[in-house]
Amino acid sequence: MISFIAQRIAKAIVVLLALVVLNFFLIRLAPGDPALVMAGEAGAGDQIFLAQLREKFGLDQPLPVQLFLYVKGILSLDLGFSFRQQMPVATLILQRLPATLLLTGTAFAISLAFGIVFGALAARFAGTWADTAITVLALVFYATPLFWVALMAILLFSVTMDWLPSFGYETVGANYTGLTHVLDVAAHLVLPATTIGLFFMATYARMTRASMLEVNRLDFVKTARAKGLSDTVIQRRHVLRNALLPVVTLAGLQAGTLVGGAVLTETVFAWPGIGRLMYEALLQRDYNLLLGVFVVCSAMVLAFNLITDLVYRSVDPRIEFAS
Amino acid sequence: MLLRNPGGMIGVAILTIAIAVALVGPLLFPTSPWRMVQRPFLPPFTMANLPLGTDALGRDVMAGIIYGARVSLLVGLISTLASLAVGIPLGAAAGYFGGKIDDALMRFTEFFQTVPSFALAIVLVAIMQPSIVSIVVAIAIVSWPPVARLVRGEVLSLRTREYVQAAVVTGQTNWWIIWREILPNALSPVIVLASLMVATAILLESSLSFLGLGDPNLMSWGYMVGAGRTVIRQAWWITVFPGIAILVSVLALNLIGEGLNDALNPRLAKGGR
Amino acid sequence: MSKRKILMSFAVLCMLSTAAVAEGPKAGGVVNAVIQPEPPSLMVGLVQNGPTQMVAGNIYEGLLRYSPKLEPLPGLAESWTVSEDGKTYTFKLVKSATWHDGKPFTSADVLFSIDFLKQTHPRARGNLVQLDKVEAPDESTVVFTLKQPFGPFIGIFEVGSLPMIPKHIYEGTDFKTNPANNTPVGTGPFMFKEWQKGSFIRLVKNPNYHVKGKPNIDEIYWHVIPDAAARSVAYETGKVDVLPGGSVENFDVPRLSKLKNTCVTGAGWEFFSPHSWLWLNNRAGPTANKKFRQALMFAIDRNMAKDVVWNGLGKVATGPSGSAIKYYTGAVPKYDYDPAKAKALLKEAGYNGEKLRMLPLPYGETWQRWAEMVRQNLQDVGINVEMVATDVPGWNQKVSEWDYDIAFTYLYQYGDPALGVGRNYISSQIAKGSPFNNVEGYSNPEIDKLFADGAVAFPDAARGEIYAKAQKILVEDVPVAWMLELQFPTITRCSVKNLVTTGIGVNDGFRDAWIEK
Repeated sequence: MISFIAQRIAKAIVVLLALVVLNFFLIRLAPGDPALVMAGEAGAGDQIFLAQLREKFGLDQPLPVQLFLYVKGILSLDLGFSFRQQMPVATLILQRLPATLLLTGTAFAISLAFGIVFGALAARFAGTWADTAITVLALVFYATPLFWVALMAILLFSVTMDWLPSFGYETVGANYTGLTHVLDVAAHLVLPATTIGLFFMATYARMTRASMLEVNRLDFVKTARAKGLSDTVIQRRHVLRNALLPVVTLAGLQAGTLVGGAVLTETVFAWPGIGRLMYEALLQRDYNLLLGVFVVCSAMVLAFNLITDLVYRSVDPRIEFAS
Repeated sequence: MLLRNPGGMIGVAILTIAIAVALVGPLLFPTSPWRMVQRPFLPPFTMANLPLGTDALGRDVMAGIIYGARVSLLVGLISTLASLAVGIPLGAAAGYFGGKIDDALMRFTEFFQTVPSFALAIVLVAIMQPSIVSIVVAIAIVSWPPVARLVRGEVLSLRTREYVQAAVVTGQTNWWIIWREILPNALSPVIVLASLMVATAILLESSLSFLGLGDPNLMSWGYMVGAGRTVIRQAWWITVFPGIAILVSVLALNLIGEGLNDALNPRLAKGGR
Repeated sequence: MSKRKILMSFAVLCMLSTAAVAEGPKAGGVVNAVIQPEPPSLMVGLVQNGPTQMVAGNIYEGLLRYSPKLEPLPGLAESWTVSEDGKTYTFKLVKSATWHDGKPFTSADVLFSIDFLKQTHPRARGNLVQLDKVEAPDESTVVFTLKQPFGPFIGIFEVGSLPMIPKHIYEGTDFKTNPANNTPVGTGPFMFKEWQKGSFIRLVKNPNYHVKGKPNIDEIYWHVIPDAAARSVAYETGKVDVLPGGSVENFDVPRLSKLKNTCVTGAGWEFFSPHSWLWLNNRAGPTANKKFRQALMFAIDRNMAKDVVWNGLGKVATGPSGSAIKYYTGAVPKYDYDPAKAKALLKEAGYNGEKLRMLPLPYGETWQRWAEMVRQNLQDVGINVEMVATDVPGWNQKVSEWDYDIAFTYLYQYGDPALGVGRNYISSQIAKGSPFNNVEGYSNPEIDKLFADGAVAFPDAARGEIYAKAQKILVEDVPVAWMLELQFPTITRCSVKNLVTTGIGVNDGFRDAWIEK
């Protein structure tokens, strides 16, 4: 087991480095560069200005040199300097990472909980109108454009009913501490987390339903029934545990993308997270910041994939892993 | 068998209508949806020939939905097909052969998956500059890894089943086994995933439009929703009607997927009992 | 006067004085505004982005401020004189001004700032081209000597164009990496306090500000809210009190103006005078033909664009100069909406259906709708137009590299044709790599001479004649297709008083603003 994990980590590092090199070039393929962006926002810029900026950003050096310097930095855990904001990339990311984790973590929990419940219910009534109704309900939030749901939620809960705040992480200028602060952040968290949670709920509901139906027709379930166990016990103890396998796979897949997946929600709710940071970095061609966010997100995805595989293996012993 | 599933029936009905609209609609409504035909922000149900009202520039929302059907459905379909064409073979090979092949293929898959998919899609579209082609390519590129992983997982599970062992013993070739014995049984979750993927592709396209990365030469539902989002307060119909079109299509696709799933598992005809 | 009249005047006088007392500025209060997009830095000497100027204009100061009519007002200079021959400008500085860290502001800072900005500020570089030397005979006097009379010179001292930089912090350092860049130090009414990236910027009152009794406001919070609809909601729910121009989409302005306690003004942009037009590639393709370009002008319905896309805000542009800019003249050839005339001109030009690539400005839905409208106008007269989608850096790149046929843009004009208009039409400004110079590639020696003469002509009236001639020629030649003089309304709570009083509005307006409780 240990050597398996060690091998996987080593391979993950290789993947990460390959990713860095690939994205390094990929990002620079996009037209425009950060100096032009700065000039554009200033509404003025001459050649001296652009040349100065490019020199400050290190863009005047040949590409292989830039790549080398960057990779060297990565290996010593230095994510470089943001061209535009003139701050270390690591600082910028660390400032915003907790907010995103809070948001997507909460959303993940919501979607998993509701999704499994809906899916199990639908499987119970499979093939009937109740099944369709439950499925449709789960799907409605998936099928409606996320930003539309977000805006409607804001209109309903912030503007009309004034129950919840419409933007930000906390009430600016109020400087709450302790429990009040926690409650303040929680109030700001409700709308965005629920919006994302309801969106992803459908996926888990579908997977749970399909999986439960499939497991239900397996022989060991028939055996359990023949033994006279009650249906509830069967569903809960035998079926659910086995049915959750593909759901776990999916959850593992999704968990890794949690960090980068909230761009839309963070934009609408002005949530100070990584998704928005990445999108803005792309638009500003802030290469180092964009690459830095990719590296952090990728590292998290790789970590989650490894964990998922380990969980998968422990739950279903019939699966052998080639060594 | 599909017909016995009420959800599946509804799904098929809706999808048929959508496809019909996409194919025949533009013939019956020849005016381009880009033409400015009336005053802007005309509410729906006020003029007989403009049942869904007009948008910010006075363009017919109904025409937009009809022409948009073609674009949105094509985007969803083609990008999903491309994803499946790449993901299924890769996942099956990885799951069946195991060992070094599994390793290499999974590293390759992981490679694509480690970058957050929406982020990668945005970067790809930004690089290729927004157009319907770049959007389809971007969606396809970010969507195939989950297919591969799912197929691999299923194949891994099924590889050890008795009927597969039986086939091996009787000397069938690997690809025959994969094709005839394993894949049909692995397909249910893949079909479910595929129907979701078409829906996701349609939604991805609308999200890209929201961020200003849509194709400005093609009127798609996503484009209409994105265009109307800044005037949601004064003209709800500009986003709601194409939003409903997206919602209904996505719903239909999912119900069909579900119905197919149930139908393909012959012992499920009566449900879970 | 009769007794009755005396009594009446006395009564009126009483009313006026009580009214004046009741209306006086009140001290205290916090203002919440939005800033969009988030500025990369607040050190306005190094970074001159729009949002940077908006926030930093309240932290730093220039030697002068400008009224809405673009007349100079005292800033860090309390008085000034211009010599008879127009070549020497003498400024007397305010004596009690201090930097936010307590050190006094002196003429040495002015000399240092000129040096600093020549290295870092492209517009200042251009504006100071005629400067021969600058001297400081004493601590509170600065004398600028020019090589030739340069009429616009009095107009270059705005805080975003020529901000005063603290010598004692920047001298001898590498400007770009000086750690003080993260905590900007100016002489202005507000001091930098805090910046939570992605969330807000906080400014607090400068208790030692050199204008007694100002500022009235205690703190300003600039919130970062990336989505336009969310900004509107923030205002509606009372979380934000000031929406500077351009914060919300135009389509939302009528709805927001009807809210309680809401005041809207189009003022505060006179110095910038945003002017929008379509770059027309004069080098290649159908747009290289003057008749084709004139056809374009007739084919586009600019009034409808103003009414539908911009909600009636702004004015149809008549030529290269905005109507608030000095020496503007409306006595130029007219291009009213006339599709028939456009079609005729197209025929004369020999256009036979070539496809043209149109680049919209990727700044939001308003510009996208406008591009769609123009595309429709052009298609209606038979011009084959394809829209090219880009994001902001892509747009910058394409325009800078001349990879377009028609491209939307808008630029600021800075009050004087020599500062903001000439750069788009003179041959010396044809250079790849900038989206703000003579991008269209128009080259006319007569225009070159007129703009060169106009900058240094003396006195004022002489300049007027020259520029009038230049405008006539340009409007005849249509190097670019002028569209609208844009208006970016500023939306505030009516209880926030006196915010927009200068030619740059919110950028330095918080100095004089106060909150009515």
